[in-house]
Amino acid sequence: MAEQNQPPGASTPTLEEVLEKTQRQFRRFKGGPILVLAVVVIGVLWTAWFTVQPEETGIVQRFGKVMRTAGPGLHFKLPYGIEKVRLLPTARVLKEEFGFRTLSAVPGEKTRYDTRGGYKDESLMLTGDLNVIDVQWIIQYRIEDPIRYLFQVRDTSKTIRDTTEAVMRRAVGNRLGSDVLTTGRVAVASEAKIEIQKILTAYETGVRLVTVELQDVTPPDTVKPAFNEVNESRQDKERTINKAQEQANREIPKARGVAAQSISEAEGYALERVNRAEGEATRFEAILAQYKEAPQVTRRRLYLEAMTGLLSDMKGLYIVDQDQKAMVPWLPLKSGEQQPSAPGRQP
Amino acid sequence: MKYVIKATITVIAVVIIIVLYSGLYTLEEGMQAIVVQFGRPVGEPVTEAGLHMKLPFVQEVRRFEKRLLVWDGDPNQVPTKGREFIWVDTTARWRIADAKKFLENVASEAGAQSRLNDIIDSVVRDQVSSSELVELVRSASWEVPEDDVLKEVPKEREEELKKEIARGREEITRTILTEAQKIIPQYGIELVDMRIKRLDYVESVREKVYERMISERKRIAAQFRSEGEGRSAEILGTMEKELRRIRSTAYRQVQGIQGKADADATRIYGNAYNKNPEFYAFLRTLESYKDKANPNAVLILTTDSDFYRYVKNAEPGKAGVAAVPQ
Repeated sequence: MAEQNQPPGASTPTLEEVLEKTQRQFRRFKGGPILVLAVVVIGVLWTAWFTVQPEETGIVQRFGKVMRTAGPGLHFKLPYGIEKVRLLPTARVLKEEFGFRTLSAVPGEKTRYDTRGGYKDESLMLTGDLNVIDVQWIIQYRIEDPIRYLFQVRDTSKTIRDTTEAVMRRAVGNRLGSDVLTTGRVAVASEAKIEIQKILTAYETGVRLVTVELQDVTPPDTVKPAFNEVNESRQDKERTINKAQEQANREIPKARGVAAQSISEAEGYALERVNRAEGEATRFEAILAQYKEAPQVTRRRLYLEAMTGLLSDMKGLYIVDQDQKAMVPWLPLKSGEQQPSAPGRQP
Repeated sequence: MKYVIKATITVIAVVIIIVLYSGLYTLEEGMQAIVVQFGRPVGEPVTEAGLHMKLPFVQEVRRFEKRLLVWDGDPNQVPTKGREFIWVDTTARWRIADAKKFLENVASEAGAQSRLNDIIDSVVRDQVSSSELVELVRSASWEVPEDDVLKEVPKEREEELKKEIARGREEITRTILTEAQKIIPQYGIELVDMRIKRLDYVESVREKVYERMISERKRIAAQFRSEGEGRSAEILGTMEKELRRIRSTAYRQVQGIQGKADADATRIYGNAYNKNPEFYAFLRTLESYKDKANPNAVLILTTDSDFYRYVKNAEPGKAGVAAVPQ
């Protein structure tokens, strides 16, 4: 055949010549038919077996019709063109993500997520109080019936996604936003799981849900600061109350102590006052008893003693004759001490 | 001669192979087929998978899906009964129920898709625009929130939350499905299920909703802060009251104790001094002289004072007698 590709102008052999040449070559090679047979046999055998991995199930179709399923291991089938095999990972748990996408989850490394945020359409939904909420969630499922999975529904994973979204939105729409954000998470997930499974079973998808898990449930980005403010204000409230309580705790026990102190002091005062009174009364009575024995002498003695004590503490004493009153004005009453300290005034 | 026989056998073999090839066809699992002869369907649809026969050359096979198929509509902007514009995104599941009718009426899946678009869109519009938004969002099992939840919500929205749901999303969806199902069978299509996948505010409304959510949150935040301040004032008030109570009680007790002590002392003094008031006066005066001694004081006494009367006169009678009464 290579000759045909030669450019025009070269010597072109006729068809008969070529046939004759080929035939001659073919005859010369004695093992020819055996070789062809061998190639065909090898080809047939090569397509007559297949292996199924541990997590897979093989479905064997003969002329398109499902004949049997095959578990993990080595299996034989009729060769190419008659039987063919489809392999499905039936033992593996498959995952669908909603509202986010995992880019890579390499063991030992931090899982990376798609941060472009292009999945808001999936995650933003209306709550029962007509607010908007951002819900991210995942579902995990297994292919329970591979034949149904393949042949009852076309594009089964799209069906799973659509159904899950519809059900999740219905479940969230039937609750208050604040409920979904906090206590209602688990209830939403379990309610959704039951409902999704019911629908997928009705569609005969052959899929068994393993779990429905809510991931991040948050208010929409624009509203987030306001939500944070509520949390802050809740903290503020606690803090203000604690501050007041702290002040009360600081002052009241102290006031109690001070009160107890003043009462004790008053009691002390009372004791002292009564004791002193009694003491002084007793003393007076004792002196009085002696005074009655010799009133004149005692009286004079007491007077003189007192005067002695008084005069000894005085700074000065002038004894003036009763008849010489005229000299009293010349006495240097105090001025004698003060004037030397002010030299400018001295005459 | 030998060459001719050989050639004839070869030709016959080739013809047989071609005829067989044209007269046999395989049908994949999950598919159905209609045999068409010169453009006209012949016989019933073949639904069993496997190897089948047909007339060679004159008949051809049209294959159709037997499986459940996806219909995913474009989101539509539809006003609700309350005039809110929302995006409604619906999804449906359908299958080719009657391949013959299907072939005659819509010919292909693309044709079916556009028929479904027309029918479902119009039914969805009808149903959505005759329903309140809350009916579309909530389900019939909507529970009216309890009172402590309603506290967080402004008064004017309370009504909306308390509203009983007459139909709910499930019922509306069911109605859409049955309405659409009434029209669709003539195309050989079975509409299996219909669901509202997404329901969303249009952009401008969404902004408004966000603003409302923000103001709602701010209101709650203000309430929390005010509650905190109120509680704080309450605590401080109670504290002030307690302090005053403690202090005044103590004062009362102190006054009582001291008063009683003073009274006791007064009584004791009185009892004692009453025995000789004149002597008490004398004694007390002398004591007060001692107490009030001022180191800077200067005292001028005359010689006729009782203390110094002997300075001038040693005789007791003369000056002393006269001085004592003074």
